[in-house]
Amino acid sequence: MNTFTITHTHHDRAEIVHLHGYLDAHTASQFERDLRVIIEQGDAHVIVDFEHLDYISSAGLGVFMVFIEDIRKQGGDILLAAMRDNVFSVFDLLGFQVLFRIFPTVDEAMAALSNNA
Amino acid sequence: MSNDIYDIVPLRISPLTHNLELVRSYIARAMTSTLLTSGEQHGIVLAVDEACANLMAHAVSMQPSHDIEVRVAVTPQDIVIEIRDVSEAFDPRTVEQPDMAVYFREMRSGGLGIALIRRVMDTIDYLPASSETPFNRLILRKRHRSAS
Repeated sequence: MNTFTITHTHHDRAEIVHLHGYLDAHTASQFERDLRVIIEQGDAHVIVDFEHLDYISSAGLGVFMVFIEDIRKQGGDILLAAMRDNVFSVFDLLGFQVLFRIFPTVDEAMAALSNNA
Repeated sequence: MSNDIYDIVPLRISPLTHNLELVRSYIARAMTSTLLTSGEQHGIVLAVDEACANLMAHAVSMQPSHDIEVRVAVTPQDIVIEIRDVSEAFDPRTVEQPDMAVYFREMRSGGLGIALIRRVMDTIDYLPASSETPFNRLILRKRHRSAS
């Protein structure tokens, strides 16, 4: 049933947040709670690794909107990476690429941060 | 719409979000024999998930005993999903669609579920409960590409 887990690792310039499972109206509150802790304790930049996320709905997208304004005011950013096609399609349907940079891999997201340094 | 087209056993769930995975599995199974692409199937699963999540979130009058019923029919022309509930009527078609340029500029959050449903499904119909039909009916249709 509705499994969702979040783990994170710290790298030189960013917290890398790894999502696993299903991010929907049932699990989005857990994601918001956990991401808030990671952002408050970690680096200004966050890279979200979607490689192991099987599903996302609008509730999951909403969590990114909760944090993006504050994190950019602090000079940071949220970069999204390694989405599966079905996950990317949800972001794409609503045009989220206007606000978020989406990378094919975590390495490319990290490289983008390094290039901005 | 006649009830006769619903040839698959309906799914009844309590209005709790942990049941959304059951809804998604039910819809996905119903589409396995269709010619819909995996992308189209995912979109339909997403639309039904959003519709049910919206009911669960906004149906303040809904009690745990007030089940949501999901029915699905696959015809040669289209796939039809009907979602029945007995909460206060709420027609999602009346919700103003967000201007996404403004939405992103103002960095809003929430309120995107119905926008997703509109982007995925071909038609959305809503029939509030009446003296003849004691439940609300949200009916989502997606035409098969070969039938469009």
